[in-house]
Amino acid sequence: MNHYLMNTEFPMSLRRSFGLVAAVALALALTGCGSSSSDSGDDTSKKDDKKSETRVFAADNGKITIPADPQRVVATGYAVPVMIEADAPLVGISSWQRGEPMMNKEDLATYKKLPKIAGEQAAETNYEAVAEADPDLIVIGVPAPVLGDIDVKRLESIAPVVAIGPTVPSAWRELAQKQADAAGSLKQFDAVQKDYEAKAEKLAKKYKDALSPYKVGHVGSYGDVAKGTFQREFSGSWGTNIAEDIGAKYYGKVKESGPGSRSVSEYPSIEELPDSLGEADVITYSVKADGSVPESVKYVMDSKLWKNLPAVKAGKTFPIRYTEAATYGQAMQTLDAIDTSFAPLLDQ
Amino acid sequence: MTVAGHAPETARTRRAVPQLGLLVGGLALLAAVAVLSIGIGARSVPPAEVVRALVDFQGTDDHVIVRDVRAPRALLAVAVGAALAVAGALIQTLARNPLAEPGILGVTAGAGFAITVGSALGLAAGQAGELGFAVIGSVLAALLVAAVGRRSPLRLVLTGVALTAVLGGVGLGLRLMLPDVFDMYRFWSVGSLAAREQAPLELPLAAIGVSLLGALLLSRALNALTLGESVAHTLGAGVVRVRAATLALITVLSGAATAIAGPILFVGLIVPHLARRPAGGSVPWLILYTMVLGPVLLLVADIGSRVLLPTGEVPVAVVTAFLGGPMLIWAVRRYGAGAL
Repeated sequence: MNHYLMNTEFPMSLRRSFGLVAAVALALALTGCGSSSSDSGDDTSKKDDKKSETRVFAADNGKITIPADPQRVVATGYAVPVMIEADAPLVGISSWQRGEPMMNKEDLATYKKLPKIAGEQAAETNYEAVAEADPDLIVIGVPAPVLGDIDVKRLESIAPVVAIGPTVPSAWRELAQKQADAAGSLKQFDAVQKDYEAKAEKLAKKYKDALSPYKVGHVGSYGDVAKGTFQREFSGSWGTNIAEDIGAKYYGKVKESGPGSRSVSEYPSIEELPDSLGEADVITYSVKADGSVPESVKYVMDSKLWKNLPAVKAGKTFPIRYTEAATYGQAMQTLDAIDTSFAPLLDQ
Repeated sequence: MTVAGHAPETARTRRAVPQLGLLVGGLALLAAVAVLSIGIGARSVPPAEVVRALVDFQGTDDHVIVRDVRAPRALLAVAVGAALAVAGALIQTLARNPLAEPGILGVTAGAGFAITVGSALGLAAGQAGELGFAVIGSVLAALLVAAVGRRSPLRLVLTGVALTAVLGGVGLGLRLMLPDVFDMYRFWSVGSLAAREQAPLELPLAAIGVSLLGALLLSRALNALTLGESVAHTLGAGVVRVRAATLALITVLSGAATAIAGPILFVGLIVPHLARRPAGGSVPWLILYTMVLGPVLLLVADIGSRVLLPTGEVPVAVVTAFLGGPMLIWAVRRYGAGAL
């Protein structure tokens, strides 16, 4: 072959003929000669048929007809870590910096390598980049109110769009499953879910006696220091839902329930700290992925009112890392972090 | 001579009596508002416990709330209110411009820009970090404005406005490029007195105390300056020294107040207008009145910030903006701009 390419003495017409012959020979070799070619042709058409098969999928934006076996998926928001973890056939993702500290080495490499078709905010969607990625499915993982920042019609002109956004924090389990299902990647998803559930069960047994007598309260990291408030999280919130899987019993509920996370967390004044956490036997609090205490939590812990709390006086306060976990893989890290943090309870 | 000398002295004494009465009344109002500020909050504390927390501290939750949360906050409101109001009175007197306010000399913009840069470098984290950068930024901005504006009040104001625009533009560019920096800045950019009790505020509070005293000492010389440079010279006032000292006081007062609470507009603009008429053209009385009325306005706004919304607190700067705008319009319509 190289010989032909290097032989510059051949007339142009002859070179074209050789090229044509070589191409035909290559095509024959690839498809296989003789009778087997027709069989292979059937396989391809079956594959094509499978690719062109569709199904109706119930999403936040209605019942959407999507490919049964998507081959080129674009994911945004909360769907990004889920899709990466489920080995979905991604061709473009939004930036998702908040999830980076919770990704394992392999997932982080995939995340960094994939083309970014949107920024951190939904409003930063690059529609031309989405079109260039040529997806056959677009999965939007943003909360319903944020969906208004996206030109969904424009995206629908590129590929079917399914919006599967977060509602209450603890619903990440169902949402992640739905997102993985839309992308046809449930196999890997189910495997990780199984690992998580096994680990949670093991830890639940380990801490059963140590945790059962206690009422637990949680301080989250989204308090607003400038307003003198702190975030109090209840059952089913970001900081609590994974610890609940191992048997922690978070008591109380929000004074006035609101939509989404407002139904499981509230932002009282620092003056209300004694009323809010006075009954807690154990207090957990969110820390950053590197273990450092966020400014909003530090504000609470530096307060003299904190030092007056019974749980603090008893030395039963425990930090929890990776409270923003929204996939089973990430939640396994949270379980490990909780195990490390709760270990002293076993000795008491 | 004796008769002629007695007549104006009697008039001055007669005028001073209602002025003194107004000052005492203002101080009583300040005391009442301060007590109210300590008594009101998210948690209901009985009045008797409020008093006990101040005179017989037992360390209970109620006592901790009163003494370690509310009382420092009220003290900060008094200090910041007095600093901004007196700085406003000084700048309006120095620039002879009724619309001048402390931020016009670029101090607020300098503090905001420094916090933006500090956040971008990852150094302005936490209240102490923000405080440090705000102080550095306001001092550097004031020095730059003083170096360019020199002796002319008009040049000072123009330089301050220009610097504010430049720092505002560059800072905005940085914040748009760096979302995390924007996140940090937006909390600081709306002035608030909440949660400041844990910050190391001894230095800015001491600076405000000394500067308020300095403003009182300087007020007589400023009185002479309002009569014009030549008259001030004739009366023996060192015009250049008085201007430099006034500028230094404005910088320290507004810089320290901004460092403590973030930008709070209107207090420095509105309070001198409210105080000017009862002061009757006297700068010492103007300084005294603003020193009392500034804290009253900020304490009232701060109480409002805690009780206006059932869902939680609004930053005090939002309340001062709501109060300040209509009050300024009312004052200007009722009394005119007043003599400067």
